[in-house]
Amino acid sequence: MKYRLFGIISILLLLAWQTLDGLIEGDWGRLEGGLGNLSVFFSESMWPPNWSVIEARPYPVCESEIEFFCSVGYLGMMETIKIAFVATILGFIGALFFSSLAARNLVPLYVAIPVRILLSAIRSLPSLIWAILFVIVIGFGPLSGVLAMTFYTVGYLGKLQYETFEGMANDSLEASRAMGLPRSSILLNVVIPENSNHLLSQLMFMFEYNVRHGTVIGIVGAGGIGYYISTYLKFLQYEKVFALLILIFVVVVIIDLLSMMVRSFVNDEGDVRRPTWLNVVLSEK
Amino acid sequence: MVEAVLELKNLSVGYDEPLISNINLEVFPGEVITILGPSGIGKTTLVRTIAGLIRPLSGSFDLNVERRGGLGYIPQRLGLVRHATVAHNVSLGARTRVGFSLNMWKERSQRTMDALRMLGIADKSNEPVRRLSGGQQRRVATARTLAQRPQLMLADEFLGELDHSNVEIVFEAVQNLVDDGTAVIMIEHHDDNAQLFATRIWEIQDGKIADISIKEWKNRKTGGEEE
Repeated sequence: MKYRLFGIISILLLLAWQTLDGLIEGDWGRLEGGLGNLSVFFSESMWPPNWSVIEARPYPVCESEIEFFCSVGYLGMMETIKIAFVATILGFIGALFFSSLAARNLVPLYVAIPVRILLSAIRSLPSLIWAILFVIVIGFGPLSGVLAMTFYTVGYLGKLQYETFEGMANDSLEASRAMGLPRSSILLNVVIPENSNHLLSQLMFMFEYNVRHGTVIGIVGAGGIGYYISTYLKFLQYEKVFALLILIFVVVVIIDLLSMMVRSFVNDEGDVRRPTWLNVVLSEK
Repeated sequence: MVEAVLELKNLSVGYDEPLISNINLEVFPGEVITILGPSGIGKTTLVRTIAGLIRPLSGSFDLNVERRGGLGYIPQRLGLVRHATVAHNVSLGARTRVGFSLNMWKERSQRTMDALRMLGIADKSNEPVRRLSGGQQRRVATARTLAQRPQLMLADEFLGELDHSNVEIVFEAVQNLVDDGTAVIMIEHHDDNAQLFATRIWEIQDGKIADISIKEWKNRKTGGEEE
């Protein structure tokens, strides 16, 4: 078994290597000096991070006693978080509706297939393209960002959710069907509670994903921290970009810790020990 | 004349090949039927067919129960929502019977609590099912059916490896249903449990069902000593 796994991984690596070689047409020389270039770019242009992004902006005048609350970093990050929060909630609810109509163990195939095609269509446009579309339709600002992320969330979470539903144990579904519970009741009272752990995990992952992608869609004018990143990139202020990227990293780590805390409420006891708020921040001795 | 809750007409069940063929039997309200037979002979397939989860290979069956809530089913793995609370699981049974009305929340809650008390698990009502022992989970599944009060109850080895005290608690609950006219069809492996509940035995052998009264079956077991 161990040798077979080793063999499969070796073959896959070889295939990947061959494919890459084909893609770059064997021109491996381009990698030469790449590491050096990266090192020069990082040390001369990005390092040290410029932390002025977490100081109050000169205009408008800061009315808060804490400077940080008037900074580009805070304001941009908060707008990104708000966009991601609204889009994740709306997208999650929309995805639940569609995924319940796409899971083969919940609906007949003639319903599941068209809904799956619809979800694939929504998913095939990346959030960036959705953002460009909504910026064209609605104009610059957070509303375009919210709509772009909501659509992408529906497509992406919808697939994760229907695959989760299809993987659930059949016995609870069969018992509730035989009892004569209506489809809506089975979804709300059996399917969703039974998959709550996975659904919460996916919800938190999507929120984190949307926060990260807030940077990308901001670049096309859909609001959030990406707007500032885009501006600093234009003016070659890479130290400020790097500081903002660190800020995003910190937020993503915090969301991950929150996710661990939230999911511990629906985990099997003993599988994962429920963390306390203290040991989310400080490791246990 | 009392109408049969279930009528099997030349029914053959199985997946690709028939496991049991040409079944012609009736089940009346208040009867408790135990299906006996070795593993893999088609007991579960028969019960799943009656539950409407598998199509019959040939023949048909008439299920004279209400569409919503008339049939109760406890599968081998109990069919509980493991991440939900005990009360939530039991209330699923009540949901099938209590329609929309101003008092529906109160009625559902009343049915749920009555069933939980009868099965002795009222103190666990807010616990997630996944934290309960196997025996307690079997009591939750029984409580769900009790809250439902179906006209026909199907149970697939739901007594499992329950200890004596748990079997008695479950027996009392099922008896309560039977007294109200519920017919019960259950698969059982233990002869003792079969005797405890059944009024008739369906013994499956060589793809056929032998319908035996409990008296005759006991006689067979004791070699006619009770006569």
